[in-house]
Amino acid sequence: MKKDSMLYVVLFTFVVCAVFTLVLAIANEGTKDLVAANAEFATQSAVLGALGVPFDGKADAAARFAGAVSPGPDGPRRSWTARVDGADYVAVEQAGPGLWGTITVILAATPDGERVRGVRVVSQNETPGLGGRVAEPWFIGQYEGERSPGGRVGMRAGAESSGAADPDKENGRVDGVSGATRTSQSFAAIVDAALARVKEIGGER
Amino acid sequence: MKPSKAVVILKDNLWSNNPIFIQILGICSTLAVTNNLSNTLVMTVGVALTTAFSSMTLSALKGLIPRKVRMIVQVVVISFYVILIDILLRAYLPEASRQLGPYVGLIITNCIIMGRAEAFAQANPPFLSFWDGLTSGLGYMAVLMAIAVVRELLGFGTLFGLRVMPAGFVPWTIMIMAPSAFFLVAMVMWWAKSMQAGRQAAGKEAKK
Repeated sequence: MKKDSMLYVVLFTFVVCAVFTLVLAIANEGTKDLVAANAEFATQSAVLGALGVPFDGKADAAARFAGAVSPGPDGPRRSWTARVDGADYVAVEQAGPGLWGTITVILAATPDGERVRGVRVVSQNETPGLGGRVAEPWFIGQYEGERSPGGRVGMRAGAESSGAADPDKENGRVDGVSGATRTSQSFAAIVDAALARVKEIGGER
Repeated sequence: MKPSKAVVILKDNLWSNNPIFIQILGICSTLAVTNNLSNTLVMTVGVALTTAFSSMTLSALKGLIPRKVRMIVQVVVISFYVILIDILLRAYLPEASRQLGPYVGLIITNCIIMGRAEAFAQANPPFLSFWDGLTSGLGYMAVLMAIAVVRELLGFGTLFGLRVMPAGFVPWTIMIMAPSAFFLVAMVMWWAKSMQAGRQAAGKEAKK
């Protein structure tokens, strides 16, 4: 068959595409379970982290998750109810716009939404070193045990921010990341939205 | 003794025809990933492997590929390897995969891969093409890692995420953002070009 004939070109392209796609499909199928397990571990570790439950490795995380957490009511986004150290908590996944892209967090709080248990950032695309610092422990740690009167946690962003973590857990306020005012404000909005959903789910029970 | 072809290719791709500072290819990824050493390492290993394997595959197929669809086949082969790397990263290095995000997929747009496929693999046997692709990737990796060391050290005060700068060190925010990669790439080019120019001049002097 001539190499430049229409038939050869079509056949060759078809065969090449079919072969390479087949290999990819096999690779995808072969690693599907592993990828799903990774995603599940990522979610479990974020929920456990927000609930303040320590864990050691994948198996331990799965066991503790199964022991303390149960899935919440069906909704547009995932939610969980949990019992930790004899107290009830509600955890929700919440996403909202950041400065560059969507920020997704998992937030755990008391069912009345009046006190945050903890927050974990699942994914964010903020400026590395500036807005990206919202995922750092010093920032996220401010929310641990923070009072949230009326289901809101204030954010001191921009000029009001001291640029360091706010140690007072009773004032219902956290300090923003200096140099990342917009990200801090967006983050506060996502937290408030998450708290509203916690209240909704907590009130139903 | 005349150096073997493999050695010549190695030297070419690492120094005298380096993809970054001589051919100026793959600059976009240089700006994107070099603020963090671990991401840079994963990304450049991905590029080196993709270039090597796609060059080898295309070289092996070169007798069969009709001219009309040459580019299409190249793109199919390159994207095949990129998607394969993406799948493997997601399964075995989920943390790196999450951090690199869309950049893994963007390996496909790295001009070095297409450049080597067109310029070298078209006319050379598979194993030599593999070597050429791998060493091109290494030349790319060497420059990117050097830039990433400077950017991570000054931008975060860390290397591979480990703190090396004293506690009082104020990070240079500019180093984390894309512009600093422009400055650093330009400085690397300047340095390499003047080195090469200096050597050429010295060589001419010696011949006289």
